[in-house]
Amino acid sequence: MEKRLMLFIFSLSVLLFGCSTVNDTPETRSSLVRTSNPNPIAVNNKDEKLVGDIKETALSIDGIYDVAVIKGEAKDCLVAFKVHHLERFRMKKIEKQLTKELQKQFKDLSFTVSSDFKIFLEAVRLNEKVEKENLSKEKKEKRLQEIIKLSREKT
Amino acid sequence: MGKNNKTPEQKQYEKLEQQHETKRPVLKNCIKAFFVGGTICAIGQAVSYFYIYFFNFTEQTASNPTVATMIFFSMLLTGFGVYDRLGQFAGAGSAVPVTGFGNSVISAAIEHRTEGFVLGVGGNMFKLAGSVILFGVFSAFVVALIKTIVIQWFGGGFQ
Repeated sequence: MEKRLMLFIFSLSVLLFGCSTVNDTPETRSSLVRTSNPNPIAVNNKDEKLVGDIKETALSIDGIYDVAVIKGEAKDCLVAFKVHHLERFRMKKIEKQLTKELQKQFKDLSFTVSSDFKIFLEAVRLNEKVEKENLSKEKKEKRLQEIIKLSREKT
Repeated sequence: MGKNNKTPEQKQYEKLEQQHETKRPVLKNCIKAFFVGGTICAIGQAVSYFYIYFFNFTEQTASNPTVATMIFFSMLLTGFGVYDRLGQFAGAGSAVPVTGFGNSVISAAIEHRTEGFVLGVGGNMFKLAGSVILFGVFSAFVVALIKTIVIQWFGGGFQ
C-alpha cells in the first residue's frame, strides 16, 4: 500500500517537474490572492494619461478592487479586473456595467473587458516585462493582440 | 399478500427488527463526504490554476484539461487500489466529483480485462458509467432546449 502511494507521488512529481521554467516574480505569482495593482500600459506614450483615467473609471465601480489596463496603438483597449470574492456571484453584471461605463466615457475606443484571471495574469506579466526591459512598440502591440485573442477563446 | 394486511407474527418481527437494527450514521457520513469531496474539488481547483499559470489556458478553457487530469489521477488511484478504500470511507464524497466517474469506468475495465479487449474491456467499460453519459447528455439537451425556447419567446432577456 505504501509502496503504491510512493509510486503515485513519484510519478506525479515527475509529471509536474517539467513545468518549473516560467520565471515569474513573487508578486506575479501571488497576484491570484493579493492586490497587485499593475501600472496601466500604453503602447503610445501620449496615451499615458488616458490609460490612467480608464483605470480610475474601472476602479470606481462597486466590487472591483484590482484593474489592469493595456491600450493598443489604435483603438484597442484591454481591461482586466478582479472582483471581491463574494461579488463573484454578480460578476457578469459588474462586467456589463463596466463595459457600459467605459463605452460612455471613452467613445472612440473599442474595449475588451475580461474578468478572467488568466487575462489579468498576462497583463501583469506584460507590465513586469515592460518595466524590466525596454520593449518595442511592435512587441507590446503584438502581445496585446495575443491576449485579446486569448480572451475571446471559448473552448 | 398486500402491504397492510400483515399477520401478527410479521408485525411482531418488524418490532423486533427495529430494536436490533443498527442505525446508519447519516450525519457522520455526510460530514465525511463533505470533507473528502471538498478536498477532491480543491485539488481540481489547484490543477486548474496550474494550467492557467503554466499553459495558455484561460479560466474558461482550463476546465477541459482539468477534467482529463482528474480522471487520469483517479485512474492511477483505482489501479493502485487506493480509490476503493477512499470510496468505502467517503461514499458520495468520492463518487459525485468527476473522479468517481473515472473510477467507475476504470474499475469496470479492470474487472473485465480477462474476457479480452473487445468483448471484455470494450463491451463492459461503460457498464456503470454509461448511465451517467446517457442522462448527462439527455439532461443537457433538455436544458438547452428550454433555454432556446425561452430566448426565442422573451427575446434574449434571460441571456
